[in-house]
Amino acid sequence: MQLYSPLSTTPKRKLFRAPALGKIDGLRIGVLENGKLNAEEMLNEVAALFVQRHGCTVRSLASKTNASAPAPANTLVKVAQEVDFLITGLGD
Amino acid sequence: MTIASPRIHEVPDDLLAAIDYCYDQGWTDGLPVVPPVVDRVKAMLAADSRPADTVIAHHPATGLDLSLHAAAVNAVMAGCLPDYFPVLVAAFEAMDKPEFNFHGSTASTGGSAPLLIVSGPCADEIGMNADVNLFGPGNRANATIGRAVRLILRNVFQMLPGISDKSTQGNPGKYSFCIAERSRGNPWPLLCEAQGYPKGTSSVTVYAGGGFCNVENHGGNTPEQILGSVADAMANYGCITLGQAVVILAPEHMQIVAGAGWTREQAQAFLFTQAKRSVEGMKGVGKYRDREYDTQHGTGAHALAERDFMHRGLTPDDILITMGGGDAGGHSCFIPSWSRGRGSIMQHGAIRAPQ
Repeated sequence: MQLYSPLSTTPKRKLFRAPALGKIDGLRIGVLENGKLNAEEMLNEVAALFVQRHGCTVRSLASKTNASAPAPANTLVKVAQEVDFLITGLGD
Repeated sequence: MTIASPRIHEVPDDLLAAIDYCYDQGWTDGLPVVPPVVDRVKAMLAADSRPADTVIAHHPATGLDLSLHAAAVNAVMAGCLPDYFPVLVAAFEAMDKPEFNFHGSTASTGGSAPLLIVSGPCADEIGMNADVNLFGPGNRANATIGRAVRLILRNVFQMLPGISDKSTQGNPGKYSFCIAERSRGNPWPLLCEAQGYPKGTSSVTVYAGGGFCNVENHGGNTPEQILGSVADAMANYGCITLGQAVVILAPEHMQIVAGAGWTREQAQAFLFTQAKRSVEGMKGVGKYRDREYDTQHGTGAHALAERDFMHRGLTPDDILITMGGGDAGGHSCFIPSWSRGRGSIMQHGAIRAPQ
């Protein structure tokens, strides 16, 4: 008996991590909050720790209008020009 | 993106062993599936004239594509007949619209399931149920079309319970959630007509449904009494959000509402007006947020949005109302939307005529 596979035949995407930062002292931080309850508060607390411990500066706060959808490409492009790294998370 | 040829698995010529093989591969929703033998898949594909590698939906988070072929394999496994295939295809073409956000709605802790509402002559032609036991069990078309949706989400898009589907409590509709709109005795324009499709064209509406809330009222005799009960369900503290709503009125309730001369638009306006909670009440249960209030009452707010109250949805048009179910019983239902906000917006699409 021959059965067809029910899985997608799309080739798997090649995923890779961004290279780790060599240092974080004095870098510019971006915050991307997703609109969920307490997300902005939690992320700002995390950013404050980087400011306190590593002399970073918070340069940008971006928001998503839909927590479960990927951030719009133009949001990421804009933020990438202004910061060295981005903090994001779910909140709630 | 190039799509590879579908993989074929050689298994012993034993039906029960093939069912077990499907379990072993992790291809099922927990229930046994029909083994997707080549001949049945080809028969399913014959219901759509396009090439088998035609992509009908794309998963935004994983990059995985749904081809007609993969849809047909899963439709066979769910127990669909080829006549049902155009409904399944149209449903995924509708869910593929970005506003539906089917990744978020199927991955979320919220635990929604895609509800399909089939409207128009197709429903009767393929033997769907719009009557007694509307939401099941008992009808092959309703049950298996809805099940095929789940199998595709699982097998093609890899929305796996506990891994990529993180629903806190799940939802019985995740097995199957598919109904037909009742045309017999329906006093209002069918959904496919209201959606603007040409006469004779059927449609499927897809909606990320967060559950099922029965609305019982056997004593009410006016539209205000019946719809007041529905509005109360829509505005309960556990459900109220800025999201959309689906309301399926039982024939008994519809007779009272439409029998008094109310149109769908009047009923929508009444429900929007009444399905509300005060800002103070929302604060009392910890669900009030300034930005949600501003979304509902800021620039472009609907005229019926009452100050100092949170309504369900943004406008009366956010409430889909139609009729379904058996003749006897004062049991309608409200189906809440997934998400606290506007995470998924219902979509619809035309069902292609059988090839």
